Amino acid sequence: MGAPIAQATASGNNVVAVYPDRVELRSGWKGQNVESLSIRDVSEVRISGLVNCILAIESNTGRIYRLERMALPDARAIKNAVERQKQTAGLYE
Amino acid sequence: MRRLSLLLTTSLLFVGALPALALAQEGAPTTEDLSLAMDTMWVLVAAVLVLFMQAGFAMLEVGFSRMKNVGSVVAKILVNLAIAALLFWAVGFALAFGTGNAIVGTQGWFLAVPEGAVDDVYAGLAWTQVPLSAKFLFQVAFCAVSLAIVWGTMLERTKFAVYVVFAVVFAGIIYPMVGHWIWGGGWLTELGMQDFAGSTVVHLSGAMAALAGTLLLGPRLGKYDDAGRPVTIPGHNMPLAVLGVLILWIGWYGFNPGSTMAVVPEIADIALTTTLAAASGVLGAMLMSFAFRRHIDVGMGGNGAIAALVAITAACAFVAPWASVVIGFMAGVIMYATLIFVDRLGVDDPLGAIAAHGMGGIWGTLSTGLFTAPELAAVGQPGLFYGGGLYQLGIQALGIVACGGFVFLSSLLVFAVLKATIGIRVKPDQELDGLDIHEHGVYGYPDLVATDYQNGGARMPDPVIDGRTAEGTA
Repeated sequence: MGAPIAQATASGNNVVAVYPDRVELRSGWKGQNVESLSIRDVSEVRISGLVNCILAIESNTGRIYRLERMALPDARAIKNAVERQKQTAGLYE
Repeated sequence: MRRLSLLLTTSLLFVGALPALALAQEGAPTTEDLSLAMDTMWVLVAAVLVLFMQAGFAMLEVGFSRMKNVGSVVAKILVNLAIAALLFWAVGFALAFGTGNAIVGTQGWFLAVPEGAVDDVYAGLAWTQVPLSAKFLFQVAFCAVSLAIVWGTMLERTKFAVYVVFAVVFAGIIYPMVGHWIWGGGWLTELGMQDFAGSTVVHLSGAMAALAGTLLLGPRLGKYDDAGRPVTIPGHNMPLAVLGVLILWIGWYGFNPGSTMAVVPEIADIALTTTLAAASGVLGAMLMSFAFRRHIDVGMGGNGAIAALVAITAACAFVAPWASVVIGFMAGVIMYATLIFVDRLGVDDPLGAIAAHGMGGIWGTLSTGLFTAPELAAVGQPGLFYGGGLYQLGIQALGIVACGGFVFLSSLLVFAVLKATIGIRVKPDQELDGLDIHEHGVYGYPDLVATDYQNGGARMPDPVIDGRTAEGTA
């Protein structure tokens, strides 16, 4: 499984981690809810805000995962990691 | 034989007379010299007691932390003390007590003062005659206490770099500014605000900075359940936490009586009010704990003592012993109510610093406006309950709003800049594994943690392998 390429904490026990092939979103009191999104299925990652950032990960099906109150460097690390993995996998033209 | 005894007697008389002859040549110490020496000794002893409070904070925070984070707590205490000492020496002391304007001191950087000009350069402390080095040592210990309060709320999830950067700004600028306003001849001094040993300057300042940092930092993972209810994350060692409380209690005898900065009979009265308040605070918090939860919470008892000590800090020299009992008891009650309220608001405060130091500071500062006895009001006016009217209470409230607001906003700005640039929170894996192994490369209790992993716990993280990401070392 290996260590994630990038990971960050958002508000409400939400944790996002980027692995070489997927983005994993963990939530719940004990991190019991794990949702995995293939890198191929991520259509866009957006950041808004400067101090308490919102990281929005949009899937190809139109679903948007909003992670709130993140630090800007953490949000950027997630966005860059996803985009780099998509680039490496040849998913961008 | 007679000649020998005559010789011996003469020799003994000569030897016995030598010290007297020497003193006569150099001038015998005057009463003023002896008084100054005793004052200096007292201030140094008090400074050491206040510095010893760092050990109290260390034990308190270690006790309330989980085992995996204790190393980071003590490392943080050490580095903050070091930064506070150097920054306060370089700029903080001058900003706080240097002669200047109503907002800030502008003289006396690096304690560099021309011979015989100490009182001119540091007008804010000209009321005490002890040497400049003693004044500095006593005041820098206060600054370090205020800084230590900041981190009680931010335990177990904060990046070490944040401690370092914020300590520079807090000890160098934020704390000295508030110190100047109230103690250094600033605008609140002029208005007659009563804050004998620093309920507002030291404790409320630390708590407001802590609140600002915690709001931006967010709660620890697992602190709130899926319904958003607060979950208790118990500390790993309650005896250590109580030892910390007792060390702080002892240190407070330097904090409050030491603030006279002179050996005067009143130090005994101040020690008495300090003791009575702390004792009442323990009982107040424990009674609240029993009333609400039907058990005697040890941690709450400790926090009750601290809240009461914080509250009596402003009033210790101005109030009668009976009033200190009321102030201390109420501080314990208010602390408990605030702790529950803050917890439900979603602010994760592992140590209860916002409740104990923040609300304790506010209540203590206001209490002088209520309980100050006319014969003890060396500064400002008597309290409301002694017929002094609302003037002093109003000044106290103004001081709380001004100082608390300034520290909160300035700290919020610093933490916001840190969050937007380097980030203030560790990565989730680091938080779950513990800061000791990721930030410091060792465990506070290496044997115990290793045993835990060997007995079927999760894989023991490796500081090299687990600290490395695709972007470099985390």
